[in-house]
Amino acid sequence: MSSETQNAPKVHVAVDEIPLAQPFFILVTVCDDIAVSEVRVDAIMPAHQHGLNYAPKITALGDGVFRAENMLFHMPGLWELRVDANFGGQSISYTSDVVLK
Amino acid sequence: MKVLVTTAFVVLAGAVRAEVLLSDDEIQQTLSFGPWPISFQSDPSNRVSNDTRTIALGAALFNDPVLSVDGAFSCASCHDPEQAFTTSDARAFGRVLLDRNTPSLRNLAGLRWYGWGGKSDSLWAASLHPIIDEQEMGHSKESLKTAISESIYIDDFEAIFGEIQIQDPELVLVNTAKTLSAYLETLATGRTQFDDFRDALENQDLAAAANYPEAAQRGLQLFIGRGNCVLCHNGPRFSNNEFHDSGVPYFLSETEVDDGRFGGLNFLLSNAYTLDGNWSDDLEKQGAWVVRSVRRSHSDFGTFRTPSLRGVAETAPCMHDGSLIDLDAVIRHYSEIDTERLHADGEAILSELNLSEQEIADLAAFLESLSKVP
Ligand code: HEC
Ligand code: HEC
Repeated sequence: MSSETQNAPKVHVAVDEIPLAQPFFILVTVCDDIAVSEVRVDAIMPAHQHGLNYAPKITALGDGVFRAENMLFHMPGLWELRVDANFGGQSISYTSDVVLK
Repeated sequence: MKVLVTTAFVVLAGAVRAEVLLSDDEIQQTLSFGPWPISFQSDPSNRVSNDTRTIALGAALFNDPVLSVDGAFSCASCHDPEQAFTTSDARAFGRVLLDRNTPSLRNLAGLRWYGWGGKSDSLWAASLHPIIDEQEMGHSKESLKTAISESIYIDDFEAIFGEIQIQDPELVLVNTAKTLSAYLETLATGRTQFDDFRDALENQDLAAAANYPEAAQRGLQLFIGRGNCVLCHNGPRFSNNEFHDSGVPYFLSETEVDDGRFGGLNFLLSNAYTLDGNWSDDLEKQGAWVVRSVRRSHSDFGTFRTPSLRGVAETAPCMHDGSLIDLDAVIRHYSEIDTERLHADGEAILSELNLSEQEIADLAAFLESLSKVP
């Protein structure tokens, strides 16, 4: 994922094939020595001014890995996935584009 | 000689190929509308789901006026099995004229939301509300218990759920709703001309695929292409089962509006009959994440659940208020859509398509093929 913050710790997202209009989950891995206290996940469709109809549920799996479930993309097209990670009080935003057929 | 044969083969293959108008990309998208039928999975929140005896009792109750407080009408009065489980009235008429069009009850098993505004998250809850709604069947829990006890169905009911007298009236209500739901789960539309086309494409049998009329193919191209229909009408049911504004006015009168999804969520979140509640029979509460995590937004106002388009040619009039009399009217509505009517903070998806008469006929041919027996 990319971030506008300089020298931001790396964040990776792992996801299987995303089903249209059905729930799926993603794994967010934060690679850094500083502990991540919180991760938030959201997504929007920039072209249609709408986001997710369901709030993702985040579970910390340890070692900087977080599971976000109840993700649901209800329309095909370009989705902008957004992760906010909190490193000891500093929040950094990451985005990644996902195109769903 | 050899060369001649090859040439003849190429020409022939070319001729067949020409009748499938879709590009490879369009073929891929077409495959996502199937396969059909969807394999049935019983409802974990309803312990009598898929039970043969319960299904038979559900069918009988559905058609019997015993479920209305005064015996005036049955579920079938509005959801007429002879008319694809709806009627040709624009808005449902029972005790009073309701605000909305009666939806067909086919293909409802396993959905995330029920009702135009999504006020239920299970089929049994969607079957429960009309029993006690004053404007519909008008029963109270108590009068329902008495009516079932005194009906010819009491033996079947007790064979499934045990002695009725020791059941709390609310339990009788939920059991009755789950019985109706077990029956409704079995209602599905059959395979269509479109499904034969789709499966032929999957099997790369272009000769068989070419049996699908070219007008319907062009309509399909519009549906997944310039028309943008597939943004909301997707998957094997041709619905994403979420809520959108499709430019149908939601004014009921000069002063009243149908708040659609907004009211549906209010209702859902304030009643006990959800997949997160105690009446679900699923100890794992598998479907409960939906009601737990659904987000509310001011743009829910006046949005309605995307209807499935399977069998849609049999269920006119169309839309939540039955305001469009047939498919031709719906297509013209999308073609000439008044974007001023769309929510200002809405999704910016629909825009005037300005379809030609030929394109309107093509889209209609495609939509009709979703109802045609092969
Ligand atoms: C007066 C006419 C009328 C009667 C009687 C009636 N319904 Fe309905 N039904 C409707 C209307 C109108 C809707 C749409 C309501 C809404 O979404 O607000 C509906 C919606 C439904 C739905 C949700 C369908 C969907 O697509 O999500 C189910 C399930 C249902 N009814 C079952 C029943 C059952 C079971 C009975 C009998 C106990 C019944 N109905 C009696 C008119 C009626
Ligand atoms: C933004 C999402 C969206 C798009 C795009 C969309 N629809 Fe719809 N469609 C809906 C919704 C929501 C309804 C129900 C609206 C209502 O009742 O007010 C609907 C209703 C319909 C109906 C009536 C079904 C019934 O049973 O009443 C048909 C037919 C239909 N759409 C076809 C189309 C076609 C053809 C296109 C492309 C030209 C299209 N839709 C594009 C969301 C959409």
